[in-house]
Amino acid sequence: MITKNNQSKVRSFSGKILEPLALGLLALLFIIPALTVMNLKPLTKDTKDFSNVLGVTTNSQIIVDLIGGTHEILSVEKIYKDGESGYRYGTLLAQRDSDFYSKPILQITNNTNEEKILTFLGSTLHPTQSKIGLIINDQAYGLQDSTGQSELVEILLKPRVAYDIYLTVENTVDIQFSEEFEMKIGIK
Amino acid sequence: MSNLLKKALKLSLLPAILMIAGKFFGLFVLIAFYSIQFSVGNEISGIFSTQIFLPTSETTLFVNSLSDLAMISILGISTIYMILQTTLLQSTKNNPRTIAKVVKFNMLKWITSKTSTFLQIFIWTTFVVISSIITITNSLQGDTYLWVGISAGVISLLCIWGLIKTFEIETEKIYPSSSKHSYF
Repeated sequence: MITKNNQSKVRSFSGKILEPLALGLLALLFIIPALTVMNLKPLTKDTKDFSNVLGVTTNSQIIVDLIGGTHEILSVEKIYKDGESGYRYGTLLAQRDSDFYSKPILQITNNTNEEKILTFLGSTLHPTQSKIGLIINDQAYGLQDSTGQSELVEILLKPRVAYDIYLTVENTVDIQFSEEFEMKIGIK
Repeated sequence: MSNLLKKALKLSLLPAILMIAGKFFGLFVLIAFYSIQFSVGNEISGIFSTQIFLPTSETTLFVNSLSDLAMISILGISTIYMILQTTLLQSTKNNPRTIAKVVKFNMLKWITSKTSTFLQIFIWTTFVVISSIITITNSLQGDTYLWVGISAGVISLLCIWGLIKTFEIETEKIYPSSSKHSYF
């Protein structure tokens, strides 16, 4: 049976633990709004120069749009500007069973009135026995073969046309570890 | 846990929310009202990873200034209201003329309905001072109009002065002034 003395001891002990936490919480109640308000300060950036905003990048009216979504082996997808007219796409390929996988990764739109040439060069950081490629407009292209050799893919982007780019991964053996995949995209 | 700490936590919530809400709604009401094109970015710079981008520096200055003013006004007006309520209440207790005036202007209920404590005024004034420091810093960096920075400074000084007055009133309750009370 808990005596009154024990109850007061427990209360005093819990008070000693809770008091520093409450003090920290009180300090946070002052710090968090201050930091939030400082972060809410708007910045000036010309809309034409929005290059790294929520995965959407633009260049000379060529729009490179990250499709996103979830996939069983593709995660942490990102796209960022690389130089004047290039972009870099990156993703993490999770450990996987031997199979063929594909996912729409990018939508590239040509808003200009002239044809553009797109180049893709991608590979995993370490060679694996996976074949990695792209499907663009129902046409398959190889980016990296099972020995780890990369190949440059070049396609013609017609004016006023949008293409969905699919990334394909095929492996004949189970892959037991995650690997990073990076692809350079060039626009000419 | 001490009652003072519990009360301080409880009293800090509202001004903390109002400080963020004042800036946030000030910002987005202006953007919506003037149909300003904006974008949210996620470039990692310093400790922050999300930014609001506006197209021109004039627009940025205008939106930032008025949203700072909205934030400081919400906090400042509320704090000044609480200070007035407390000082008027004390004044009516000591001065029959004030109570007559309060009754004349039909403000008796306003004063007696709810009294603000010193702790509450202290917390609200702290938030006003924090907001003023941010606004004045923005003003010195040229990110906010100078008159907004000056207004923030004035509101902050008024609140500090009110806080000192409230402190004097509270201490007078404990240690009454010898000139007002004669024990002989």
